[in-house]
Amino acid sequence: MRIDRRTLLGAALGLAAGAVVTATFSQPKYRIVRRKPRSQVAILRAESYSETLEQEIWQGLNLFHLDVRGKSVLLKPNLVDYIPGNQINTHRLLVAAAAECFRRLGARSVTIGEGPGHQRDTYLVLSESGYATQLAEQRIPFVDLNRDELVKSPLFANYTGMKHLWLPRTVLQSDFIISMPKVKTHHWSGVTLSMKNMFGVLPGAKYGWPKNILHWQGIHESILDICATVPIHFVIADAIVSMEGNGPLNGSARPLNRIVLADDPVAADATCARLMGFDPEKIVHLRSGGQFLGNYSAERIDQLAEAICVPKTPFETVPEFHYLRLSDYAGNAE
Amino acid sequence: MTDVQRTRAACTQRLMNVQLPEGGWSYRLGAKQCATEPTALALLALPSDVDQCRQAAVRFLIRTQNRNGSWPAFPGDHGEGSGFTGLALYALTRAGVAGQVAIRALGWLLDARGLESHWLWRWKFRTTDRHVRFDPDKFGWPWMPGTVSWVVPTSYSLLALRNLAAKSASNLISFRIRRGVEMLYDRICPQGGWNAGNGVVYGVPLVPHPDATALALLALRGEPSTDLSIESLDWLMRWTQSASAPWSLCWVVLATDAYGRGTDAVTQRLAGIVEAQPPDDCATLAVVSLALACGRGSSVFGEQR
Repeated sequence: MRIDRRTLLGAALGLAAGAVVTATFSQPKYRIVRRKPRSQVAILRAESYSETLEQEIWQGLNLFHLDVRGKSVLLKPNLVDYIPGNQINTHRLLVAAAAECFRRLGARSVTIGEGPGHQRDTYLVLSESGYATQLAEQRIPFVDLNRDELVKSPLFANYTGMKHLWLPRTVLQSDFIISMPKVKTHHWSGVTLSMKNMFGVLPGAKYGWPKNILHWQGIHESILDICATVPIHFVIADAIVSMEGNGPLNGSARPLNRIVLADDPVAADATCARLMGFDPEKIVHLRSGGQFLGNYSAERIDQLAEAICVPKTPFETVPEFHYLRLSDYAGNAE
Repeated sequence: MTDVQRTRAACTQRLMNVQLPEGGWSYRLGAKQCATEPTALALLALPSDVDQCRQAAVRFLIRTQNRNGSWPAFPGDHGEGSGFTGLALYALTRAGVAGQVAIRALGWLLDARGLESHWLWRWKFRTTDRHVRFDPDKFGWPWMPGTVSWVVPTSYSLLALRNLAAKSASNLISFRIRRGVEMLYDRICPQGGWNAGNGVVYGVPLVPHPDATALALLALRGEPSTDLSIESLDWLMRWTQSASAPWSLCWVVLATDAYGRGTDAVTQRLAGIVEAQPPDDCATLAVVSLALACGRGSSVFGEQR
């Protein structure tokens, strides 16, 4: 076969263009790696929301040997809205118990911060869900992250293309951030767990109610960018009574009688997903987050306390997310 | 002086005390970052005899207007505009500001629209994305450019446009008011009242939010009453009976007063709540001042201009 100069030049240009495209798409979209060689997750049994939660969490925390002495701790619960009877929000008794435990561990300060994504009146959510009284009794400060002072912060990942976010000063000045999600299904993203919970650190005053721009930029992409930029140091997930079906607001209560503690948000969420009967690898932000934010593979997770118990029936979801279900329900079922 | 008047005077004084050197107000008391919403609300709340504070607020808002006529959520925010533009324009025009500031803001408001108004998204919402029940032909204003319409920014924008429509017979103003009104009625919850932006998602009716409902009703003032607007008002009145959250309670007082419903008992209770636990953010402090000042439709949102 005869190859003339024109063909050779065309082929070279084609190869060069291909190389540029390949290099562009194969480059990692993150500028920071938070993943540790191994992660620890503890599944604790808790039958109900009661005053004994503090003791249960205290015993769970002791498995992790956390050193928060002298640190400012921010507890970030999931408070979205209040609808009587719906299990929308992280239960106040769990958050209050966690606050007491971190005080006992020697934290310099323990603050609760949240920017509800749906209801503009944060105090309304606090008062109607019983938080306001609880926080006043225990003298735990609360910061409405929707209305905090804001700092322009560059993103440590580029899944959305947003380059920067305005973040609350309270979040940026915290030494130790604990995501405290309510374990729920979500009609736009499949699940809402410790990573999706971080949508609540974005201020409504800038991004609106709801923070609609994050939906338009891609929910999974936004989760990855936010979690790359705002580190989650620890997770305490409320799976005592979870939500299935049309979450995050209008699903049905699903008792799991568990609290999940973890030193890695991806490992925590992968474990919660398994407890819900879902395959974590099928959840986009867990699969991508597994490259740099934490471990979703069970082989890299040290399971403390109870073993994972896959439910007999997976959590109900809206039809678009039926594919999340684990394919095999044999074995370790309740 | 009654308890209500005393509480209102204390709130107003507190508001004046925490005005920042730039002339604006922050959301959180003690914070140093001015923001558009608390500043516009404070400007509306301050009585006309505190001219120095009001003029500083006016100067702040004029100074922070974006080149395109919109307002950012706070200084330093990007220049494309925010859902608070309508509120800023309303506050400034109520304070007597006209001319280029108002003309540019009006131009932006007439141009800005929810993304559902774009033919491509309209097609998507009509064909493949049907989980949220709404008519994309009926659009209002978004929180941020590049997103869909929501109740609060649409209500703020309608308040501003209605205020200007009284002085101008522009067809475009009328068109945007009509579309905004249609959007609000389209997104109303089936039992009355408004949630953040939609009434039904995945076949489930959403629960109304009191502040969004009150703001939507204020924006719809002057429109013919419908069964749904009456049900929304009734829902607000019922909601107040057990409510204790000042921000929402204030908006409900402002709306129910504007529609001629009695508010004396609620304002008494509001004064007591605020007395016991003063608000820790300036936006709430401002709406408390507004709510405690109103009566017989005389508030800045209630009186006919």
